[in-house]
Amino acid sequence: MRVFVVCAAVAVMAVASAGARPVATPGVSSDEIHIGSSVPLSGEAAIAGNVARGIDAYFKYVNDKGGVLGRKLTYTYLDDGYDPGRAVNNTIRLIQQEQVFAVFSSLGTNNNLAVRKLLNDAKVPQLYVSSGATTFGRDYKKYPWTIGYIPPYSEEGEIYGRYVVKNIKKAKIAVLYQNDDYGRDLLAGMKRGLGKKAKSIVASVGYDPTSSDVQPQVTQLKASKANVLMVFAFGKFSLQAFNAVSRLGWKPQIFVNDVSSAASLMAIVPQKAANGSISIVFGKDPASPQWANDKGVKLFQSILRKYGNGASSRDLKDGYFTAGMATAYTLVNTLKKAGKNLTRQSLMNAATHLTERGNPFVLPGIVIHTTPTSRFPITQVRLQRWSKGAWRTFGPLVSAKPG
Amino acid sequence: MRTRLWLELSAFVVLAAVVVLLPRFVSDFRARELAIVGMYFIALLGLSVLTGFSGQISLGNGAFMAIGGYTTAILSVDGFYGHQVRDLWTIPIAGVVAGIAGLVVGLPALRLSGLYLALITFGIAVSFPQLPKEFDHFFGGTTGKILNLAKPPFGLSTTANNWIYYLTWGIALVLLVAAWLLVRGKTGRAFKAIRDSEVAAVSSGISLGRYKTLAFGISAFYAGVAGSLYAIANAYVNPDVFPIILSVYLVVGLAVGGLDSLFGMIAGAALIYFLQNHADTVARWLNHLPALSLDPQKPGIPSVVFGIVLIAVMVLLPTGVGGLVRRLFGPLTTRLYTRS
Repeated sequence: MRVFVVCAAVAVMAVASAGARPVATPGVSSDEIHIGSSVPLSGEAAIAGNVARGIDAYFKYVNDKGGVLGRKLTYTYLDDGYDPGRAVNNTIRLIQQEQVFAVFSSLGTNNNLAVRKLLNDAKVPQLYVSSGATTFGRDYKKYPWTIGYIPPYSEEGEIYGRYVVKNIKKAKIAVLYQNDDYGRDLLAGMKRGLGKKAKSIVASVGYDPTSSDVQPQVTQLKASKANVLMVFAFGKFSLQAFNAVSRLGWKPQIFVNDVSSAASLMAIVPQKAANGSISIVFGKDPASPQWANDKGVKLFQSILRKYGNGASSRDLKDGYFTAGMATAYTLVNTLKKAGKNLTRQSLMNAATHLTERGNPFVLPGIVIHTTPTSRFPITQVRLQRWSKGAWRTFGPLVSAKPG
Repeated sequence: MRTRLWLELSAFVVLAAVVVLLPRFVSDFRARELAIVGMYFIALLGLSVLTGFSGQISLGNGAFMAIGGYTTAILSVDGFYGHQVRDLWTIPIAGVVAGIAGLVVGLPALRLSGLYLALITFGIAVSFPQLPKEFDHFFGGTTGKILNLAKPPFGLSTTANNWIYYLTWGIALVLLVAAWLLVRGKTGRAFKAIRDSEVAAVSSGISLGRYKTLAFGISAFYAGVAGSLYAIANAYVNPDVFPIILSVYLVVGLAVGGLDSLFGMIAGAALIYFLQNHADTVARWLNHLPALSLDPQKPGIPSVVFGIVLIAVMVLLPTGVGGLVRRLFGPLTTRLYTRS
């Protein structure tokens, strides 16, 4: 027992003797700007980490051309295994140890939610987060140092709803959705888009993100005799849904949400089911023949070849890399706009007064626009249809701006 | 036996001194990293009591960490009948809540052992994350709960990282001594007897049910405290903060530390933290080997590094760090010929 007491005393003394340390300084100097991200490089979502590799390659390209107003960009991205706890640790490391100027394009809704308060308390910009959750653009009063990038999931859902009302007569809609904020946002948005036609949803079935297969859910949805199927499912579940539709001999008009519409994924599902599927798009898909001769995609490929640190030929057709470059392009513009006298405040100011035309990695015509009260940089998308093994855009640009 | 006691006591004093002095020599952020190592250490101590001493396997201690983490989050965010509890005081509560859960889980342990028990506990690790999703009003669903950032209490002038460090390691040292006293005493002897032979233990009058359940309760208590500290340090919980793989990492740390070596758990804890968060550094070291070139910044590579290092450690130290220490100091504490 005595040892126990001694030990407790040691612990108390230890707490009492803790000393103070100097505070961190923002990572900007006369010749360098340090930017950081936390992304998954391991775990289930590891492949999405290619976004950071795209950013890295683009920054190196910019540095070779003289940097941003004479400053070179240094980029540190850390692996969080898609675990919010590790994202918190990484973000603290980026601020305190790596002393970054801003945290940029970290990936995942919950991972960004977990660090939002921390970054805002430290007054470190949380720029262009890789998540479509509405809160990152909407709640700027409480979190002035945070801004989103991609169109919100709810608006994406609304676009599908409006499309159905306008183009499909006697629609009977079945919905497969992931039972979390992401899937529910899409579903709620779609109901809004349907408006009075919301009754045309004949079945909606959620699945748990940790379940193994969605075939039972798809079977259940088929029994509702719907002629439209919304696939608000992520990754492998989306793939399983297409497989199940094909196996059941069902022929609905399929809508598949943006984050599951990667061409690499669509190419491996049964084409009988995939053909004619509709999704939204705002970035140029490097795998689509539509952009084979596009200047932007050519630029992307030449940058990735030169600065991609051994990028493979498959990487040259990977949309995650283009997505990363698109955000990096916007960041570089933001930094230029913030000017020579760069502070975290001037960076936020630039990020909320942005009008960017001609980002070579997003669809022609999209204007990336923000104001202090409208913090959704990309609010224009187009619809695209899958045919002959590739996505092809159709129709005009439509608005995905939260109302 | 006396020599061994003295060796252990001096090891403890050295450890305590290192714990007190270390933050003066490392950066503020390193102190935070060491704090997280301390949290894994606490969880591993509990697992060592359960697996190393009483011989029961658990693949579900990550779930007990989650219970501890959620207890702290709920008490400090939503409070208890509207009264928010200060994070510091939620730590013992989190330990007790997780401990009770552990006692309940300990019940099937009476009938099962070995592989079957491992499967039951793994089932707990798999199914626990569903609870917060199912009862999202109470647990915050997948969005989780955001806690207030940890701040040093009582007007202590120190950084948040240093505060978490001293808090964690203060608790870790106390719990280390507690575990050490436990395994040295009557309970520890009963645990070891059960581990070595259940039949022999029963025939010497040891109540299997009582001790097996107790071991589960203790290990869950430790895991709960660790989870609570983890929630405080990250100021965030959701089901992904305590993934299934966490339970597996704990078993990895246990094996690396050397099942029944309490001090060895520090090595196990350091390894599981380091491999998760500094795979890039490790990859750079590995690249010095001929014919290897790993780009740690490519998706998938961190997991590969984790695997390589783990295999290497288990090949070189099959009995873990604890086993190595015992080989080094063994000659000092064992007599070849005992006078009777």
